[in-house]
Amino acid sequence: MILGIDVGSTTCKYVLVDDRGNILDKAYERHNTKTAEKVYEFLKKLEENFGFKPGRDRVYFTGSGATLIAPLVGGKFVQEVVAVSIAVEKLHPDVRFVSEIGGEDMKAIFFKEVDGKRVKQVFMQNACAGGTGTFIEKTARKLGIPQEKLGSMGYKGYNLHKVSAKCGIFAEADVNTLQKAGVPPEEIMASLFDAVVYQNLSQLAKGNTPMWKVLLLGGPNLFFRGLREAWRVHLQRIWKEKGLRDCTDQEMEELVVVPENSLYYASLGCVFYAMEEEGGVYEGLDRLRWWIEEGQYQEKLKEGKRGLVSSEEELREFLKEYEGQYKKIVPKKVKRIAIGCDFGSTTAKAVCVSEEGEPVFSCYQISKGNPIEDAKSIFRQIREFFGDDVEVIGLGLTGYGKDLLKDVLGADCAVVETVAHATGAMHFFKDADCICDVGGVDVKILILRNGSVVDFRLNSQCSSGNGAFLQGVAERFNIPLEDIAKLAFSAKAIPNFTMGCGVFLQSDIVNQQRKGWKAEEILAGLCAVLPLNVWIYAGNINNLAQVGKKFVLQGGTHKNLAVVKAQRDFIKSKVPDAQVFVHPYPGEAGALGVALLALETKGKSRFRGFDAVENLTYRATTSQETVCKWCPMNCQRTFIDVFVGEGEGRPWSKVPLERGWLRLIVGNACPKGLVEDESELKLLQQELRRVQDEFPNIAQIVRKTAFKPKRANQKVH
Amino acid sequence: MGFFDSLGMKVIFSSDTSEEQYRTYGKGRITMDSCFPVKALAGHIGELLHKDIDILFVPMIYSLPSFLRGHVMDTLCCTRVMMAPENIKAGFLKERDEFKERGIKYVSPFVPFGEPELLPKYLFESLKPAVEDLTYEEVVEAVREGFASLEEFDKSMREKSLEILRWCVKNNRPALLVLARPYHMDPGIGHEIDAELQLYGYPVLWYNYLPIDKWLLDWLGISLDISDVWTSSYSSNTNEIIWGAKFASRFPWITGVIRLSSYECGMDQPTFTPVQRIVESSGTLFFKFGELDETKPAGSVKIRVETIVYYLEKYSQDIIKKKLSRLREVPKELTL
Repeated sequence: MILGIDVGSTTCKYVLVDDRGNILDKAYERHNTKTAEKVYEFLKKLEENFGFKPGRDRVYFTGSGATLIAPLVGGKFVQEVVAVSIAVEKLHPDVRFVSEIGGEDMKAIFFKEVDGKRVKQVFMQNACAGGTGTFIEKTARKLGIPQEKLGSMGYKGYNLHKVSAKCGIFAEADVNTLQKAGVPPEEIMASLFDAVVYQNLSQLAKGNTPMWKVLLLGGPNLFFRGLREAWRVHLQRIWKEKGLRDCTDQEMEELVVVPENSLYYASLGCVFYAMEEEGGVYEGLDRLRWWIEEGQYQEKLKEGKRGLVSSEEELREFLKEYEGQYKKIVPKKVKRIAIGCDFGSTTAKAVCVSEEGEPVFSCYQISKGNPIEDAKSIFRQIREFFGDDVEVIGLGLTGYGKDLLKDVLGADCAVVETVAHATGAMHFFKDADCICDVGGVDVKILILRNGSVVDFRLNSQCSSGNGAFLQGVAERFNIPLEDIAKLAFSAKAIPNFTMGCGVFLQSDIVNQQRKGWKAEEILAGLCAVLPLNVWIYAGNINNLAQVGKKFVLQGGTHKNLAVVKAQRDFIKSKVPDAQVFVHPYPGEAGALGVALLALETKGKSRFRGFDAVENLTYRATTSQETVCKWCPMNCQRTFIDVFVGEGEGRPWSKVPLERGWLRLIVGNACPKGLVEDESELKLLQQELRRVQDEFPNIAQIVRKTAFKPKRANQKVH
Repeated sequence: MGFFDSLGMKVIFSSDTSEEQYRTYGKGRITMDSCFPVKALAGHIGELLHKDIDILFVPMIYSLPSFLRGHVMDTLCCTRVMMAPENIKAGFLKERDEFKERGIKYVSPFVPFGEPELLPKYLFESLKPAVEDLTYEEVVEAVREGFASLEEFDKSMREKSLEILRWCVKNNRPALLVLARPYHMDPGIGHEIDAELQLYGYPVLWYNYLPIDKWLLDWLGISLDISDVWTSSYSSNTNEIIWGAKFASRFPWITGVIRLSSYECGMDQPTFTPVQRIVESSGTLFFKFGELDETKPAGSVKIRVETIVYYLEKYSQDIIKKKLSRLREVPKELTL
């Protein structure tokens, strides 16, 4: 007998054949990351039910998890693409394109005739969750679609919306937006199938056109009807557009197929491979059992690296150097203050400074989605603390809501986040070269030269590397936020996590847990991998030495000393003579920066006053008229109109606005939505042309003149 | 244009590069991985295939004319750009000959602008099969006219730049200089980043059309030579970028330089640090938008532009003063 086992990222499959190649048994089961256990279970069962015998029968392995297990039972390893190709070539000599979508990877194989020889080209993606099975299931779970129903959901005939298939986490954001906008789950899933196929065709095909006959393999292609439909529709369109073949739906069914045993092609490939050679004689279960019971835990220690600190002494020294760098804003009543507000997408924060620039008060408000209400809450807190007679000598704004609120509140300056954070840092570290701000949901790396931010990296899209991730894991382990650092430092050895996509990091955690790593060791491991995710994965900065020598760490995540330690060690490993500092008020650096800028503005503050803010009258309109029409996403925006006694109004709008009122637009997913509609765009473009005429741009002049004919055309040729 | 005007041929240009153009006409035609400016050509060729044309003219430009003097090794184009007409063409032949199918002749001459004497021969040889009654003499004349109109065009653009600089001097206002490749003028490749800065009230100059009047260069203390800072001067555009950096670092009213570069540009890679150092040596602000690709990263461009504008506003006047203090009196030609 020959056994072919495929140990994939989420499932294990096997096919058992007799010596003539007849299939005796097969199975497809999820392993929930317990790959060795699952293989053991399979083999045990086969020994009992089919008399699979050590010393006589042979076993071949394939799949991402197989290299470790195969030698433990005497099995031979076949690379998975090779295995799939062998099976396809043997069973379907007429197939020219194969798509195999797995749990965490996807492959495309092209078969071509070149000079009478069949050659194959293979493309694979396994570093990102975009376009894979995990990605589809994750989204379905989010939408509350039960597994049974997911399989039968269709693609054809549904309205499609834009879903990014590039990154599982981007897609999640798109799905959220669609869900909020009330798009039915059926349409969202259809859009997702569309995105997956699009991703496969654009990322993996590399300019090759998939030709018939097409074979769809792997779990997702078999289980999800919608995915198969999407393949057929896309390929039908491509073939037609390229003038290759005009197929009916019926023909498409015949040309794009999911074959029998489609889940087992890799396993079958192993078996066919084995038939051509000797070896891979099954050795029994003893060593595999040993591995499951003991071996993997020993391996754990071998694999891991040393903890964040190697001795008590080292920890003491580190804490001595860094604990003192933090300061607390001690509330202090003063007569004159400048206020800095940071209106982020999730939280609004404020810091008040005295005339001398000393921080004297801070407060925050979790955003309610209405910047006016958030602002009211912030100013109420400030007024409550300082009393009615405090004089506001400056008001500065930063963050997502800064432009919306500038006129409403009467701010003296509204600056972009980069400038706010840089100012906040440079107040304490004048000659800093680089500021690394890791917040709850975003990562900012600011590179400074001559007192200016000359370059920066922002990442708020990919979750890997941000603080929320660490917090989420700690919560799962029931560890309070403030204990993370202490526990992480107590770990003597830590698991090695791979830098990269947050979706995979999550499954990696489960994996490491299984190997016996404890909560504190896992947290320490996550702290250790954070700098890699911040600088290399999210920031894409490979040459840290070029950035400079003086680094400032700020942002809420750097309140965690274990992260600071990991960051410092990482930076020092790249730039041995680097100086690494923590901002005294890591969580408030942005709001503080903008408060200091407000303090600098000359003249009387434009601030409207606490009463005016408290009494802001506004009306919010959410209706058909406020839906954004710039792209098919159709965000349901809300117009918040505020009375401030000045401003032109918007008489041309579908939701007209009288003189003296200002409009804030919220609920848009991208900057485009801040422009109301065509009529506003027209006004803006007029203004644009006026400015362009006043301040010319050579590129525009070149474009206008370079393509004009020099003289009237007399046709000669 | 002068060349085709002389031959009496009507020219239809493909439209500006856009994501839509690339998606509609170009996707799936790319046979090798390359930077977007090269890949975008597929969209242009695809678009023109749908137009009523007889000849699709896609020159392989090997070298360019240059205004630089002194130690210039060569004035070559990027090899990838040069080879793009051949590479991309393959994408339209893969399944079947789409040019033939539409009755369009694909003309892709080898064009070494750096050796103008060779142009008539190459252009004639490649156009002849497409235009039966074409004579060699006509092509010689057309090349002459082409060069004349190119020269005239360059001159008028340099004059425009000078006009802008004079306006800056008169109003004591800062301007920006863009250091990039010529294709970044295309809104679909450069993503009009320069235009966004322009909206904040900064006139925008481009490195390839700076004035090169002698009195101006004498005042700034530079010549048309770059051998002092760049010895491996083979690439035409690179040479001009380096020269532009020298100009920007000295001209007082250019207070900020914007560097644009497309994703995976191997030509730009070695120039990043030298260009930055040259520009910043005089305190001029330097900002880079690297890794531009097919989609405009609207959100991040906005934040970057706002950041740049903040520092330009904060420092421009100081920079002008500082740079002026190193120069002799402003020449009268600038204050006209």
